[in-house]
Amino acid sequence: MAATDSPSTAVRRRDLCSRGIRLAGKMRADVIDLLDTYVEQQGLDASATVGVVEGVPLAAVERWDEQTGTQRLLENLVAYRAFRALLAQMLEEQREQLGEADAGLGRALAAVLLQVSAFAYHLEELLQLESRGIPSEEGDGPPPLPRLSLFEQKLRGLGVLRELAQWAVRSARDLRQLSKPS
Amino acid sequence: PQNLKCVTHNLHKMLCTWDVSSRGRHGQTDFCYTTNDLTPQVCFKTEETRVEIPVPESSITVAVKSPGTASAIKEFVIHQKDISFVPVTPHILSLTPDFPTSTLNLKWSDNGLDFPYGLDALWQIQILRKEAMEEVTKVTYYSKLTHENVILSWNWTSDMPLECTSHYVKIRCYINATQFVGPKDWSDWSPAEVIPGKDTEPGGSGVFPLDTVVAVGSDVTFCCVHEEDQRITNMTYGSKSYTMMQLSSRSHAIRVLNASASNSSGTNVVCRLENGMDGSVVFVGYAPDIPQNLSCETSNFLIIKCTWKPGRPSGLYGERKTKYSLFERISSKNVSCEVNEINRDRVCGFPVLPDQKTYDFILDVSNPIGQAQSSLLVDITQRVHPKPPEKLTVTGNNSTSIQLRWFINGSFAGIRILCQIEIISGHSEKKLQNISMPGGKFSSYTAQLNELHPNTKYQFRVRCSAADHFWRWSDWSRGVDQTTSEAPPS
Repeated sequence: MAATDSPSTAVRRRDLCSRGIRLAGKMRADVIDLLDTYVEQQGLDASATVGVVEGVPLAAVERWDEQTGTQRLLENLVAYRAFRALLAQMLEEQREQLGEADAGLGRALAAVLLQVSAFAYHLEELLQLESRGIPSEEGDGPPPLPRLSLFEQKLRGLGVLRELAQWAVRSARDLRQLSKPS
Repeated sequence: PQNLKCVTHNLHKMLCTWDVSSRGRHGQTDFCYTTNDLTPQVCFKTEETRVEIPVPESSITVAVKSPGTASAIKEFVIHQKDISFVPVTPHILSLTPDFPTSTLNLKWSDNGLDFPYGLDALWQIQILRKEAMEEVTKVTYYSKLTHENVILSWNWTSDMPLECTSHYVKIRCYINATQFVGPKDWSDWSPAEVIPGKDTEPGGSGVFPLDTVVAVGSDVTFCCVHEEDQRITNMTYGSKSYTMMQLSSRSHAIRVLNASASNSSGTNVVCRLENGMDGSVVFVGYAPDIPQNLSCETSNFLIIKCTWKPGRPSGLYGERKTKYSLFERISSKNVSCEVNEINRDRVCGFPVLPDQKTYDFILDVSNPIGQAQSSLLVDITQRVHPKPPEKLTVTGNNSTSIQLRWFINGSFAGIRILCQIEIISGHSEKKLQNISMPGGKFSSYTAQLNELHPNTKYQFRVRCSAADHFWRWSDWSRGVDQTTSEAPPS
């Protein structure tokens, strides 16, 4: 945190953090629901092991305790920007493959994408509070995704949603850490 | 010399061979032949125990003197019936795979130039598969020789994807030379041509067919190609595990019989390996039904609206969904139709063309599994179904008559319009009055209603259609109320 926090900044940070924590909680619940729908609709095995999906940042982090507030926010922002692009890709593939069928899954995906976008914006607000410039989006987005086979697309979607659920948990922890008085 | 045998490959020349004792094997042999009394004897020397000489019409006399002064001349009379006819081994020109359809295309030359016109030829084509080159099928193909070298072409569709394992093709032929009296036999098999499977490619792996579409009820073979050192644990189709067949050390397959319709995201075919998994998705659906009750009409002489009953849903969605297009033969104009597979309303719009009354429509319906068509020949002036009249207003009124005006959206200048006015008076007496008039272009129409009762409340509404060749009434317009004025004092 900035060495000398003005009272209003501290209050503002706590407010943004608590709202962020609630948003992360809601997002996690929705992602878990979406995961169930996704697994069933895509005919996947819920216990299927999915390797590391290219372009999906891992929520697990070593020496979590030692991270600074800004590091936490920056890592979160990079992750949610990546998820935004990946979910948009999934939505596009969904439309391409299913068209009007299973609009329910499409709507659920779009809803989670909206939440991820909102959360990313939220993180940007927090970073501004840290009087930190917001990293530009060019260049750090996920690499263009290779054209995958349909089964690989299904598995990647599973991997993206699982990792997003993990990130929602981590983000809540990060924001709780951030909202503690330093 | 003994055991003289002669074989011809082209009915013109024949190759004769003979045995000699070990003593007579070195040095030059004197060889002479005469085909009949009229032609002079032909002689020559040869180091070998085989010669190529003409095939005789009936017989040929051959004299052979082995090397060495002491050996005697040995004479043979070879009759045509003693000569065997074995066609030249066919040469495969090309073997081309089409992976999406698992089809092999074989091309070869029939060497017809060597033979008289019109001979029947039989070709046996053998397909082999797997590392052990097991025979899959042997097919006989018939052709007629035309005294020209013709390239023959033949297709074969495998019951499994060509990527699964190597496919080999061999061919041999038999020519029914009816004039030739000697024994006839099949040629030798050609060398095998191969289409290598993915299981022979370094790093080749995956489940095949990849992301394909098949018809409900199909029997489908899926294979899993993996690295040599990877052990495959199982293969599932949907949620069911299947018994695997081994095609090679790097390829295993399962056979799914009578595949049932998949859900919208397709059925997963998953190959589980010791350290990972691979998979494919198959979409099992129906070919489109022939569209029923194709009907076309226009409401405004700008757009022709065609509707139909689609029949059974295809079960295919997104980029595999059934596509519709409307082709009009007279103008050769083609329109693709945007159709929602879910709410299943089937409508397609086609522009009314200047100076064209008759339309010869073909509705083409297709998806990756099949295609169907319906056609309709229609005179569009006989298929007018206007929109409900709008802005119905009273424009004139006295004690016994009322004038109405309304607007119809559309360009009806070429036809007469028939409108029906519904008159409901206060004591719920309902009357219908028809009136016809020349059609106009996006114009209003008027009607005068007479013999009404004074000081009476009336409710009017109107609907219209084509006057000549009635097709359908429009819906009723909105109603309008009007009370006639009081009768003037008499």
